[in-house]
Amino acid sequence: MTATETETEWKAAWQPVVDAVGRDFADGEITWGGDPVERGAIRRYLEPLEFDCALHTDPEVARAAGFEDVTMPYTGVIAWTIPAAWRPGETLFDSADRDAQPVHTAINNADMPIGPKTTGFFGTDIEVDFHREVVAGERIGRRGRRLVACTPKETGVGRGAFMTWESEIVSDRGDVVGLIRIGTYAYVPHQKGEQS
Amino acid sequence: MTTAQAATRVFEEVAVGDQLPEVRLPLTVYRLVMAAGSNRDFNSIHHNSEYARSTGAEEMYANTSFLMSSWERLVRDWAGPGARLRAIRGFRMRSFNYVGDTMRVLGEVTATRRDGQDGVVEVTVRCENSSGVTVGPGVVEVVLPTGGEDER
Repeated sequence: MTATETETEWKAAWQPVVDAVGRDFADGEITWGGDPVERGAIRRYLEPLEFDCALHTDPEVARAAGFEDVTMPYTGVIAWTIPAAWRPGETLFDSADRDAQPVHTAINNADMPIGPKTTGFFGTDIEVDFHREVVAGERIGRRGRRLVACTPKETGVGRGAFMTWESEIVSDRGDVVGLIRIGTYAYVPHQKGEQS
Repeated sequence: MTTAQAATRVFEEVAVGDQLPEVRLPLTVYRLVMAAGSNRDFNSIHHNSEYARSTGAEEMYANTSFLMSSWERLVRDWAGPGARLRAIRGFRMRSFNYVGDTMRVLGEVTATRRDGQDGVVEVTVRCENSSGVTVGPGVVEVVLPTGGEDER
């Protein structure tokens, strides 16, 4: 098999995904974050950034600024829309291997119903529109998961595809608080010694 | 933003070409583990060197939420608590921000305009490490209060 044929072959496996551009893989459903936005979680979010803004830590300052409680950092729209990792009754870990992965996670491409099975995954780019601030006590989620682009490509780490997904950020108060487009690269890692 | 720096910048104080004070974030294992725990991105590439190498990377590397929130910190430190973020665009991760390196977050005002009562400022932001630009450059769109009199 020539290198060209190989490339043709692996790219062809991504064609169903390319053809699905425009499809909402969540059918308009809302995936809610695992927890409401809360003061303690905001504090922990700020710590590794050494991010010092009283709007996020001091309810009095936040109220004086017109908010009913401390505000979530705007970029928290990613963290606070990640669903719970585990629910009662579920098995999350079924292996004692050192690097075993959980049975399921929202942070990979494993729930993709079409296209090649991938084991490598990372984010590539993001665009966000913020319509308003989110405050402690609200719960937010992502409505829809529309595939807006898919480009198969081989990179230094493997063979896969760059995909862009779009969702509305919604609040349990009933409004849309933002719009997010997330670019990802899902891939099959190169084997050691394999040419990239 | 320390207490001493907590005043909000007003639109009329800002000019294209203004440089924001840089944010330096040494990417230690400790920091990246704290980041994964707090922003819930537990993908093992962000806290497990052995796993990260198995995916083709050289080392574990900072996750997306952490990187994007570093842009927010840069802008918030500079703009103060009265500023509102309206959008982030062009946040493109060009190369991994590996553990053991120091990431610098840098910003420059590249556009200002009035939008009704709002003073809108576009800050072009990028992350750099010892290898060069790793994220961006992209734009953080910020709304600052206006003094009400100046017509720039």
